[in-house]
Parts: sequence; structure tokens; C-alpha cells
Amino acid sequence: MSSIWNTCLSKLENEIPSGDFSTWIRPLQAVEKGDTLKLLAPNRFIIDHVKQNFISKIEDAVYEFSNGTLLLQFEIGSKKTPPLIQPKQVRKSAEKDKPKRSTFLNRAFTFDNFVEGKSNQLAKAASIQVSENIGKAYNPLFIYGSSGLGKTHLMHAIGNAAIVKNPSVNVVYLHSEKFVQDMVQAFQHNTINAFKDYYRSIDILLIDDIQFLAGKERSQEEFFHTFNNLLDKKHQVVLTCDKYPKEIDGLEDRLKSRFGWGLPVAIEPPDLETRAAILIQKAALANVDLAQDVAFFIGKRIPSNVRDLEGALRRVLANAQFTGKEITVDFTKEALHDLISLQDKLVNINNIQKTVAEYFKIRVADLSSKSRRQSITRPRQIAMCLARELTSHSFPEIGDSFGGRDHTTVINACKRIKALRDSDIKVSEDYQNLLRTLTQ
Amino acid sequence: MPKQLPLQFEFQSNQNFNTFYPGGNEEIINHLQHIFNNNEQQIFLWGEAGTGKTHLLQAICQESNQQNKTSFYFSFRKTLPNSEMLNGLENFDLVCLDNIELIAQNPDWEQAFFNFFNLHRDNNKQLIISAHCPPKYLPFQLPDLKTRMGWGLTLKIAPLTDEQLLNALIYKANDLGFEIPVNVGRFLIAHYAKDLPSIWMLLDKINHATLAAKRKLTIPFLKQIMSEQNTP
Repeated sequence: MSSIWNTCLSKLENEIPSGDFSTWIRPLQAVEKGDTLKLLAPNRFIIDHVKQNFISKIEDAVYEFSNGTLLLQFEIGSKKTPPLIQPKQVRKSAEKDKPKRSTFLNRAFTFDNFVEGKSNQLAKAASIQVSENIGKAYNPLFIYGSSGLGKTHLMHAIGNAAIVKNPSVNVVYLHSEKFVQDMVQAFQHNTINAFKDYYRSIDILLIDDIQFLAGKERSQEEFFHTFNNLLDKKHQVVLTCDKYPKEIDGLEDRLKSRFGWGLPVAIEPPDLETRAAILIQKAALANVDLAQDVAFFIGKRIPSNVRDLEGALRRVLANAQFTGKEITVDFTKEALHDLISLQDKLVNINNIQKTVAEYFKIRVADLSSKSRRQSITRPRQIAMCLARELTSHSFPEIGDSFGGRDHTTVINACKRIKALRDSDIKVSEDYQNLLRTLTQ
Repeated sequence: MPKQLPLQFEFQSNQNFNTFYPGGNEEIINHLQHIFNNNEQQIFLWGEAGTGKTHLLQAICQESNQQNKTSFYFSFRKTLPNSEMLNGLENFDLVCLDNIELIAQNPDWEQAFFNFFNLHRDNNKQLIISAHCPPKYLPFQLPDLKTRMGWGLTLKIAPLTDEQLLNALIYKANDLGFEIPVNVGRFLIAHYAKDLPSIWMLLDKINHATLAAKRKLTIPFLKQIMSEQNTP
């Protein structure tokens, strides 16, 4: 940092309101070169705002502390910005001595630390296959499921495992939006050929959240060609999405159909045991030995997705670090007090009954009625099972809320639904859909 | 004797950790102060308006400067700027975004923030977000964005009790260089303002008035200042 600019900052800090100072002035990075003081800003918008509102104050300060010797200049950039893809570099990459390109992979995501459960074992197995047989096993591998269930983790794990096996393999991970941005930039800078060369030279292309291509026709067109090119050359493509290919609105049919060529594989929300295992493993990463009962307690109270689980765990660990107390169930209850009371407000027996009744198109009163028709008993059993999984009510309390039924009826309902979820796809799907609706 | 006019300057308290009255929020301050050592990648700070979220976010930005980290702070208002404002921010070591709830339901901003979030996180940088409600209640349309909000450490900032408010008032007045007697402080809280931003604005006025009149603050004098303030 330029020492003159540092002095200017101290002056400006007293002249500009602190909110404005933190937004517009402090983030500027100064580079002093010869008789020029270059102020780097992250984008045009910030430069324009600074020029409109603070230029005279900045000029005065720079003039004062440089005795009028420095010329002020604004530029978009950052001292730490990694270089953009250079066309020359791309051409080189086809050669043997290709320079190492950034993979954008997060090394922390591996298969070893991906906790497996029923909800994700197929997706994990397919991902391992892909990382071991690049371009041959399933191409494209299409992993889909709701947000926060581990799709991105598997993607990074594929890339990391492939590199371990063959360090020279050219892997690139990116979010679909980055593809769009790169394409737009390539058009702006007239480097579309370099853009094409770059994407078509990748051995394993990992694109996250492909649903964001929806409605962007030009990007879809470009992606379609890139995709075909890679598949023709038997390079691997892995895609993630929040839904099954055919269900993505605003995506061209030819892309939908091609996405289904390889293997579309779903990730479901983790069950309680998997949630507990995830917590124990995440805690271990922070060098904390999380007790089973604590893991089950958090897992039971935070049923929605892995990100929420991680958030809850961070809260417990941070609180333990601050207070120096041991992490027990009581301690956890206290640390997560806010989160749990919110969850309770969002999910209670009443809204479980309402949601289940709406889902199966029956009346809420039917759930508490004496009816023994299967069209009523199945939703009733599912609602009881959800109440058990999502709330802290006891079996007798749940029985009471369903027309004063005995607690053994609730126990049986939970057992029955657990068994049916393993044997009947329809029940399993209904249960997952309801769980998702109630916890998102 | 004619009233002496004090120098006009905007109320500008130095918003750092030392000037923040913690009340029952010591733990939050501790986590924020140690964010660079603990490597907490994301902190979501929520609480009612006027509980000091902005002050804390500003304080952490100051701190970052002293630790040679690049930081960016932005407070959203009802009128949103162009979402291009986020371009390039993924390279900042620390980004603090205040009142994030105000971008909810705006498709452009939700998408831009989502992209920024992913890039910034992939770059292993740190993000602090503040809102008036917990992550689950943010009315984001993008479900992907919603799950990301609860990913890190979520902290609720508790409002000050009346007693803590009084202490904060006295503490802040001292910082400005004048004294508020306890009885006057109680009177001010009971009659004129209960939330911190309004109290700070009043303090600024009182500071000007006491400086101009060269008088110590008493309840009658406070009433006089307030009545002058209310007359057009």
C-alpha cells in the first residue's frame, strides 16, 4: 500500500461519514508508480460513484500529502486479482508443456469426507465410477436434488480424485453463471475462439447448478456445442441441477434430452442417522469429538439440509469455544435456543397436518377421524411419522393430536412408514416431498 | 447574551469495537473480533433495527485494515444500486453486507448476490451479512440462496435492556465529551427515544445545545432542547 495513500486515508476518514468511507474509500487499493497514484476499484460502478461524490476530497488529500507531485488515476482491478484466461495461454494448453491452469477445485471436498447414507449412496457410487473411468462410465453424470444436500461436494470430490489418479488431467470446476459470464466477456473482447478452445480442451468439466442456464438462449447454444464437442472426444462432463433434466423450465429440449444421456442420479435429504454422522464428521474436522447423543439431538432438530446442519454445528462449537464449556445435550439446547424455537414455530403438529392434508387432497379433520380407508390411513401414518421426526413431541402427545389415538398406534405408524419407504417408491417420494416442503 | 454557534459537523462517532456498548452481546463481539484468527468463513448477524449491527460491521472493517486485509462494506437501502456493484468483490478478504433482506424479491440482485457468494466462498474469503430476521425468514426467491444464508455461524444480537440503554447513553456521551446525569438519562429514555439510532441523533443535538449554551444538562434544559427541536 502506498504510504502517501495511507496518510490520505487517515485524513479522509475524518472527513467522510464512516459508512461511506468503508464502502467507497477504504476498499480502494493504491499503487504508486512514478508520478502517478493509481487507485484500483473492483468495478466501474464504484469508480463512477467515487468520482461523483468524493473526488475533490481525494484530490485535495493527495495534493496535500504529495506536495502536488502525484497524478491521480482510477482503474478497475485489484492487486490480488488472478490473471484472466489469456488467449495465448489457451493455445499453449493444447501442447505437451501446458501451463498449469486453475481448476477452481476446493481440496477440502473429497470422497473420504463425504458421509454416505441411503439418500446419497447411489450418487456417490456413480461419482466414484466417473472419477476412475473418465469419459467412459457415465457421460454426462447428472446429479440432481434440492439445495444444500452435497451435490457440489461430490463434484469437487470427482475432480480431486481424478487429479490424485492422474495429476496431469485437466479438470475445471465452475458455476454455470461463470460460463455465461466468460462467454459474454469473450464476445465483448472478441475472444470467442479462445473461449471455445479453452472449454473444449478440458478433460473433466464440472458445471454446478446448470438450472441457471434456463432462459439464456445464447449461452445454451454455446454450451450445447461445447458439451457435444467434449462428449465426442470422450471427455467427461458432470452437471448438477436442482431438478431432473426434463423438469428444467426454460431449457431447450435438445439440452434436456442430452443431459439425460448418461446417468441422472438423485440426492435426497439425509435421514437422521446420516445427519448425525455428518455432524460428527464435520465436528472432527474442527478437532472436536462430538458425542453421539449431541449429534442425534442436533440432527433431529435440524432436519432440512446439510448447510443448516453445518450452521447449527458452527453455533454450538463457537459457543463452546467462547464459554469453555463441555458440549453436552443441555449445552447444545441452550446454544441453539434461538434456532430451535424458530424451527418449532415453523414446524409443529398443526402445520404438519395441514401440509399433509393439502398434499394428499384430504381434509385436515380426516387425519383425526376414525376412518380406516387406506386413502386416509396412509396420509395419517405419514403425518404421525413426520410429527415424530420433525417435532419434539412424545408418542402419546402425537397420538392425542390425531383424534386421541393411543401411543402404540403412533409407534406402529412410524414403523410402518419406515418399512414402506424402503419398499414402496411412491411412499418414499411422498415422504421426501413433504419433508422438503416442511423444512425449507 | 447571544447564543454561541458551535461548529457544524455531522454526528460521527468512531464506529469501532471500543466505542460499542456490548450489553449482553459480549459473545458476538468476541466472535467478530476473532474472525480472522478463527477463520469463520461466514457470519450472519441478525437483530432488530437499532441494535448496533451497522456499528459492528463498521468496526470489523476498521479492524481488517489494521490486519492488512482488504475489506468492503455496503449498507442496502430501499433503493438498490445497480447489481454490477458486486463485480470484483469476490477478491476482497472480507465483505460486509448490511440489511441483506432488502435485496430479497429482486431477481437481478438475488442472482448477482448468489454469483458473488459462490465466487467469494470458492476464493476462501470471509463474508459477514446482517439482516433484521434469521436466515430462514429471508423472503428470497432463490432457494439456493436461502440455504446458503444459514451455512455459517448465525448470531442474534440482543437489544439492550433499559438499564443497559442508560449505561450506553452515559458511555457514549462521555465519548463525545459531555456528561449526562443518571436522572436525565432515565428521563430521556422514558420520554424521547428507546432505540439506539434515535438516541444517538438526540445525543448529537444535546451535544450541540450544551456546547452552545455552555450549560450542564438537566431535565429542564433537556425539555427546552426538545421543545426547540420540535418548533419549526
